[in-house]
Amino acid sequence: MYEQIAFYLFSALTVGLFMVTVLSKNILYSMTSLAAGMVLISGFFFLLGADFLGVVQLIVYVGAVMALYAFAMMFFDATRDIKEKNTSSALVFLLGGMAALLLVVVFAAPIMGENIQASYPVIEGVGNAESVGMVLFTKYLVPFEVAAVMLLVAMIAGIILAGKKMDHSLTTVDDPINVQEETK
Amino acid sequence: MSLEEFKNRNIGKQNYVKLDLEHTPQTPLGRFSRVVRRTLKGELFVGLYVTLREMINALFRGEMHTVKYPLEKLPISPRYRAIHDMLRLLESGHYRCIGCGLCEKICISNCIRMDTRYDENQRKEVSEYTINFGRCIFCGYCAEVCPELAIVHGGRYETASEQRASFSIFEDMLTPVDALKQQKEYDGFGAVSPNADENIKKTPLAY
Amino acid sequence: MEVTVLPEVTWLGVVIKAVIILAIISAIAGFGTYLERKVLAFMQRRLGPMHVGPYGLLQILADGIKLFTKEDIVPQNANKLIFQVAPAITAATAFIALSAVPVFPDFTIPEFIPLLGGTFVPSMAADLNIGVLFILGMMAAGLYGPLLAGMAQANKWGILGSARTAIQFLSYEVVTGLSILAPIMLVGSLSLIEFNDYQAGGIGSWMMWQQPVALILFLIAGFAETNRTPFDLLEHEAEVVSGYATEYSGMRWGMFFIGEYANMITISVLAAVIFAGGYNDLGFLAGWFVIILKIAFFFFLMLWVRAAWPHVRPDQLMWLCWKVLMPIAVINVVITGFVMMA
Repeated sequence: MYEQIAFYLFSALTVGLFMVTVLSKNILYSMTSLAAGMVLISGFFFLLGADFLGVVQLIVYVGAVMALYAFAMMFFDATRDIKEKNTSSALVFLLGGMAALLLVVVFAAPIMGENIQASYPVIEGVGNAESVGMVLFTKYLVPFEVAAVMLLVAMIAGIILAGKKMDHSLTTVDDPINVQEETK
Repeated sequence: MSLEEFKNRNIGKQNYVKLDLEHTPQTPLGRFSRVVRRTLKGELFVGLYVTLREMINALFRGEMHTVKYPLEKLPISPRYRAIHDMLRLLESGHYRCIGCGLCEKICISNCIRMDTRYDENQRKEVSEYTINFGRCIFCGYCAEVCPELAIVHGGRYETASEQRASFSIFEDMLTPVDALKQQKEYDGFGAVSPNADENIKKTPLAY
Repeated sequence: MEVTVLPEVTWLGVVIKAVIILAIISAIAGFGTYLERKVLAFMQRRLGPMHVGPYGLLQILADGIKLFTKEDIVPQNANKLIFQVAPAITAATAFIALSAVPVFPDFTIPEFIPLLGGTFVPSMAADLNIGVLFILGMMAAGLYGPLLAGMAQANKWGILGSARTAIQFLSYEVVTGLSILAPIMLVGSLSLIEFNDYQAGGIGSWMMWQQPVALILFLIAGFAETNRTPFDLLEHEAEVVSGYATEYSGMRWGMFFIGEYANMITISVLAAVIFAGGYNDLGFLAGWFVIILKIAFFFFLMLWVRAAWPHVRPDQLMWLCWKVLMPIAVINVVITGFVMMA
């Protein structure tokens, strides 16, 4: 009973918050509701007993949205509304609706087709982190490693992009006094 | 170091230490070794030790610096120039001021105002004497010029008051007749403060 | 291991525990400000607050009255809603993080008390088996408080403060996670109780002897996450006036303060439980007393460091994190892994 109440509460809040994310013209409201929605999604994991995934959701998305905030800070004045430029709102509605419909179909297809069965049922007496690890290092080992390599590639690319002026740091520049001494 | 030694010390031959301001290393290896050197030098822990030592000194060895001001006060130097005192003659108890008006003349901020008249003995009597402390800059010229040492600077440095008039009237600055015994003579321009010996310390730079 | 059967945890017990945490920790957090002022004063050979109550003990009360009665100003161009919510985020997440921390031992309310008699109050409000991660995640979420506060207040100092929050958090979250990973590998669990039981064999079995590097890294990162002095860039007066808190006054500012001190307590508890033997009995000293001593030591360490060390520049902070601490943390994890496999 409690779980159902909690589920509907979380659902309503999450959907509402993400609506704010999409509809608000204020960057601060959008970002904040996005962050809050991400935190609330971890509530679903906790409800399902997947504590580990819930906490990972919390940590990862808190950090990710924080990075988005950094961009928002650079690009927008957070206290003003943003003037949106929509050339054709009909097209936006069409594409958005299509994407939403597609998502619903994708997620609803297994329910329509057959009853869902867990291909990796929960093993009794094994903790959350362990069961995630087991699946990750057996069936999904290859995607896991590929994802790791991709992240590595992204990291190296980021370092190269950002690192052009890395050697020139104000920290390592000598004080003017020392420089003057050298020139004498 | 006694005063004689201190005066005759040879300034040119002191052991000044030139600070070793090393240059920023240019090679990566040099930079790395500097980081390691600085990290393992333990200077951060010297900092921690110093603060803890000061805390222990303050708490258990009575080296607390705080003076709980309204409750305890440090002695001030006799040369300190606070609110003026008008002194009395020790023998007769009459005030010393002879009404010559020099202090009024010399006052550079024009804050002293006095009026005199002849009393029944054909002696000059101060009928009115005020110092406007809103203007007084406590330069001390009035005390310096007074031929009778009648006006001096006292030790009343807490000059907050509800009204300016509270301490600018002659009678307020005058030594009370019953406190004549406690009246203090001005020690002179070379006088040192009563706790001068305690205040001589080594510069606390060397740790 | 001996298994003791604990009474069932009821919702009433959890609620009581939550109320206890809220009441006691916010009181202790207030007391922490007093302690900080006192310790800093002693280290500078001053007396600190002395006039309100004996030895200034009632200073918190005076501060509280001042904060509560001060006018709550919201700047004109600020985003009002976010501006008002931000301090609550800091304070709330700090207390939520504390809900998974074993703060006081279990106890049962005596029977003679009406209504609540016989209720079993657990040592932690939410006994998660991933306690460490949950606490770190919640403390990370707490940094949204400064971030939003800075962005909502239409003040350049605030923006600078929140930009600094973002970089500091994003960097040091990595170090905290990696530094704590090595002890997690050794214990093989994320539960704080398991950490405690792992170190049950006296001083010799404390985690800090096996993982000294991890302890140092965790403390450094913990200082950064709680915004303490060597890394107090978010609100450093000399540079950014008061950073994210520039426009705040009254109780909203006070909530930032309470959140910061609650986070300091959380980090102290984590360091005590993970690295310093937790609440096991030590010789003739009882466990609850030992853990209070340890928490007090780590809390004192934070004040001590504030008195002794200068703070770093933002670029030095980043340099320290990415070029020094993170490689060391990774190497530490790898070496721990090799030792465990060998």
